[in-house]
Amino acid sequence: MTDSELDAVYTRLCQTMTQLGENQAPLFLARFAMLAMDRLGDAAVAEQLIDAAAEDMNSAASH
Amino acid sequence: MSHAFVPYPFTAQHYSASLPPLQDGVESRRHPVVVVGGGPVGYTAALGLASHGVPVVLIEADDSVCAGSRAICISRRSLEIAQRLGAVDGFLDIGLPWTGGRSFYQDTEVLHFKMPQDENQKLPPMLNLAQYHIEKILLDRVQQLPELIEIRWQTQVTAIDAREDGARLTLSTPEGSYQLDTDWVVAADGGRSFLRESLGMALKGTSYEGRYVIVDILLESDRPTERLAYFNPPCNPDSTVLVHKQPDNVWRIDYQLRDGEDPAEAIKPENVMPRVESLLEMMGEKGAWSPIWITIYKANALTLERYQKGRVLFAGDAAHLVPIFGVRGANSGIDDADNLAWKLAFVIKGLASERLLESYSDERVAAAHENLSYGTKSTEFMAPPSFAFDLMRQAVLSLAVKHAGVRSLINPRQSSAISYTASPLNAALERSAEFTAGPAPGSVLPECPLTLAGDGAPREGHITDLVAPRFTALYFSEDGTITAELQALEQTLQARGVPFKVLAITRRLGTARAVLHGWDHTGRLYAMFGAEAGSLYLVRPDGHVLARWLEGTAAEAAAAIHQALT
Repeated sequence: MTDSELDAVYTRLCQTMTQLGENQAPLFLARFAMLAMDRLGDAAVAEQLIDAAAEDMNSAASH
Repeated sequence: MSHAFVPYPFTAQHYSASLPPLQDGVESRRHPVVVVGGGPVGYTAALGLASHGVPVVLIEADDSVCAGSRAICISRRSLEIAQRLGAVDGFLDIGLPWTGGRSFYQDTEVLHFKMPQDENQKLPPMLNLAQYHIEKILLDRVQQLPELIEIRWQTQVTAIDAREDGARLTLSTPEGSYQLDTDWVVAADGGRSFLRESLGMALKGTSYEGRYVIVDILLESDRPTERLAYFNPPCNPDSTVLVHKQPDNVWRIDYQLRDGEDPAEAIKPENVMPRVESLLEMMGEKGAWSPIWITIYKANALTLERYQKGRVLFAGDAAHLVPIFGVRGANSGIDDADNLAWKLAFVIKGLASERLLESYSDERVAAAHENLSYGTKSTEFMAPPSFAFDLMRQAVLSLAVKHAGVRSLINPRQSSAISYTASPLNAALERSAEFTAGPAPGSVLPECPLTLAGDGAPREGHITDLVAPRFTALYFSEDGTITAELQALEQTLQARGVPFKVLAITRRLGTARAVLHGWDHTGRLYAMFGAEAGSLYLVRPDGHVLARWLEGTAAEAAAAIHQALT
């Protein structure tokens, strides 16, 4: 992907999510993640992406 | 509409208690083994021991087979075991075979899965029937062996005095109490095992929060036998509902309680009937129906760390509790009993050292962990334990219709035979690695038709017909000739009392010896086993492979058996 392709895809994601509304954002992103994992077809890469996405985020306090 | 309860369409026979000859309150005769618990697992253990000629006393607290449908799905592997024990006909006569299932999300079918079924198979992948059927079928078989299996009804174990060389059990009956001495105890006394509690052994694992109501109803319907799973159905949004057909118009319905629903209120008939009513309406079932039984269920994923304490061996729910959703509860218990029976029989008959029983725990605890991980995955999908599982499940269910790639996550991962890949009994692993196909040590035999010939008129059969209460050497020999060394090994082992038989698997009909052999008439068997002329597969009494060689000798087979038994 070139930089401008990335830009276009990024914008498309934001606009699609805007259309669906904030309440549906988690489900939309969950669906996107499922389709992406299936399309990737590589379990090791999928796990790396999961770890990368969670990196530097704080865990919710456990109770 | 009034919904009065009706009884199960099944009449149980009732049996009375009896006392054996006693001396000062103790049974005069000491037993080699006592099985505690007359359920599917206890009966399977007793029949397995009897198939090796070991006499068994079986202790059962009730006066009949169980009430309630309870375990209702019997897997192909369990049917293979039943066949080997001479009890499969009853299952095939009564049980409803199913080859697949459908999952629905809201009002759409999102998955239609098929169970493993192909033209090589002899038995169906899954059979539905009530536990009272299962117990009756096994009991019928037990009653054909009165000289080997004695059932003591209405007899309850009230104490166990575990000793180094066996145990003294205290038993209570309506006719009075007594004690007996036994060398070995098989504890198949269920989820709330008295023996497990008495010996201070703890189950370890997880209990799930989710509660399911289980309802059996009587309903006339022509619907085919498939496992039906409804996720967020219109009749019960925020819930998951499972439907299973049983014989005699009995239907099993499981539905999930919402978070915060009070279980005690939920199982009251006045709260259950409307939910059943709306489910049946959604399914388009118009027949009149009556409730039979209501109970509540909580999923557990628990196991003992070892299935033996001294002379007491644990099997079935006494050893482990698995979630209902993988249909591996009764099935794994039957598999436990099948694994245990031959090993205990060999030890009792002096054919093996007690070390053989270590492999029972090794193999079956590993199997339990595998079953639990499948059961856990199923449970997490059926009753999502956190907002994240719930969200991702929604994603999967809503995508499944258009995107085949995600559908496998909905598949309930039904029961398939376990392979003991890390078992200490597996032998000649480096030789096994030379194969490019076929079951490795620890695996069960893949099914394949063949022609049984040599000992009478040729007749159609399957490779699993050759598994029996003995070690079996499947010797791939194009015309049926068996080497002199293998024949000599057969005689040597049998003279020592070790049941062992060499059976040729041939490429053509006709043989140099007029003895039973299997003819690979489809031509698929050799390829399926990765075998060539001279290949040898050594199979255990429970149908799992002990070792295999592309070119096997009698000396190697002897060594593998010797290693297993010493």
